[in-house]
Amino acid sequence: MPHSMQLANEQIATSAPESQAAGVVVARRHHLLVRFSHWFNAPILLGLILSGVSIYWASPVYQHKPDPVTGNFDPLADVGIWICAHLPGLHPCSSPPDWVYNHISLGPGMLAVALRLHWLCAYLFMLNGLVFVIGLAMGGGWRALLPRPTDLRDALKMFRYYLGAPLAKLARRSWMHPRFNTKYNALQRVAYFSVPVAGLLSILTGWAIHKPVQLYWLAAIFGGYDKARIWHFWLMWIFILFVVPHVILVLADGWDTLRSMIVGWSTRTGRSEGLEQ
Amino acid sequence: MNPGDKHSVPEADDTSSAESLSLTKAASFFQERPPQAIEVAPQALPHWTRRDVLLFGMGAIATLVGGSSLLPQTTLERLGVIHGNKDWSKKEWLLNRALRIDDDVAEALYSRNRLVPTYAKSQITPLKNNYNGATPDPSYIPGWRLTLDGLASGLSVSLDIRNLLGSFRVHEQITRLVCVEGWSAIAWWAGLRFDDLLSAYPPVSQAKWARIESSVNLGPYGNPDPYFVSLDLSTARHPQTLLATHLNGKPLTVEHGAPLRLLVPVKLGLKNIKAITRITYGKHEPADYWAKRGYSRYDGI
Repeated sequence: MPHSMQLANEQIATSAPESQAAGVVVARRHHLLVRFSHWFNAPILLGLILSGVSIYWASPVYQHKPDPVTGNFDPLADVGIWICAHLPGLHPCSSPPDWVYNHISLGPGMLAVALRLHWLCAYLFMLNGLVFVIGLAMGGGWRALLPRPTDLRDALKMFRYYLGAPLAKLARRSWMHPRFNTKYNALQRVAYFSVPVAGLLSILTGWAIHKPVQLYWLAAIFGGYDKARIWHFWLMWIFILFVVPHVILVLADGWDTLRSMIVGWSTRTGRSEGLEQ
Repeated sequence: MNPGDKHSVPEADDTSSAESLSLTKAASFFQERPPQAIEVAPQALPHWTRRDVLLFGMGAIATLVGGSSLLPQTTLERLGVIHGNKDWSKKEWLLNRALRIDDDVAEALYSRNRLVPTYAKSQITPLKNNYNGATPDPSYIPGWRLTLDGLASGLSVSLDIRNLLGSFRVHEQITRLVCVEGWSAIAWWAGLRFDDLLSAYPPVSQAKWARIESSVNLGPYGNPDPYFVSLDLSTARHPQTLLATHLNGKPLTVEHGAPLRLLVPVKLGLKNIKAITRITYGKHEPADYWAKRGYSRYDGI
């Protein structure tokens, strides 16, 4: 690794004086198929989550004792009741428990349409996953995603950096970005490796609960039909919990990072990501 | 030390170095590569950016419009995108297509020779009364008869429960019933095999479908609402497809479709029609109660 790094640095070093006169050096970051599947995933995942939550309402797994006043037994509907009670203009809402259903899913009582949308999105999700894997193989990008022995220690360093960065900004103090000689830092690598794995597990648990009789062995891997449903439900939360910091950090990182996922090229030609300013 | 030993030493070294070479080869295969850097004209990157961001924007708008048009009408109305009723029959095409593909996958997964998993009595779970609408009044049970139509003989056959239990072997099984809503129940069923009924009263030649109906089904306000399902004869001939008469060792109660219901564990619960009153065989796929309401038609699980 040190040898190839040196080579890369030499390449950049030799082309640097020329670039000042003639052009700029840019580095390929994401293969076209990876970029396509990355963006196409956004509407598909949104459709899967909206329809998936709607399917979940048909037979919710998590219930509490019915509320004596509203008769509600669903923890998410509690959120709807709370929102309607505390936000001006929403009280009296026509059906406070349904508020959350209607705003974060297709709505209750829409199982047939939700299932149709879910199957469409699920088949597209599997095709798109295939496109992603082909793109990773063709562009060689999969190598940058593989976990390394040093990842745990480095991920903690990055986590500490992200926690301190906003405070340091407020205090107008310098806050050093940890130095890495890789395409992604350890925390990114953990995230970008886990999310495709979560995607694969979502597909497998999805088939397990979609065809629990013919694919009963698949359901058995996840502990049976009922447990596979719970796996599938919580895998959805992994995507939701990933997307929020993912979007925030990309926007914080700047235009070059966002552009590289659209155009494919970056002006960051070194292997290191986000060196100290 | 003899000379033979001396000779063997370099050989051993050779193999270990070859091994370590292949190890480094393998390791370098997984090693992250330096980024592919090229020198371009100063205007090249802004030019690509303009082109690709435009393309991206067009793709995003097309996906947004196309994707949101797939949302159900009530959702679009709730979001304030559309007002009032509009004709949306064309947008259903893609969703119906996905539903058909999924049904084809289910049909490909089905095999008449593959048995569904069975369970022990200790794994039995409660089974709720899931009558769509209201539970019918049990007064129909004493006069109940099963009518068979579309037979090879050209005749219509009418059977009562004693005919059925007297002339067919009763089979038992503990299988899982899976509802389209997501819940499931493991129950102990007994009844005659649909396959045996098909052998005793063969359907017309080239018949591929059975329309199975219950005239006693009630709607949500207690009004008559006959229930009917389509069942392909390949599934009807599965050895675990029963015309069930008993649940948990006792004759079926009115809640579970007394005196005869379909038990087809390779299909969703909604195909497991209760209180069957008529079976009609035919060449063409008959209508299905829930398929008419936007669910899939094959419903294989």
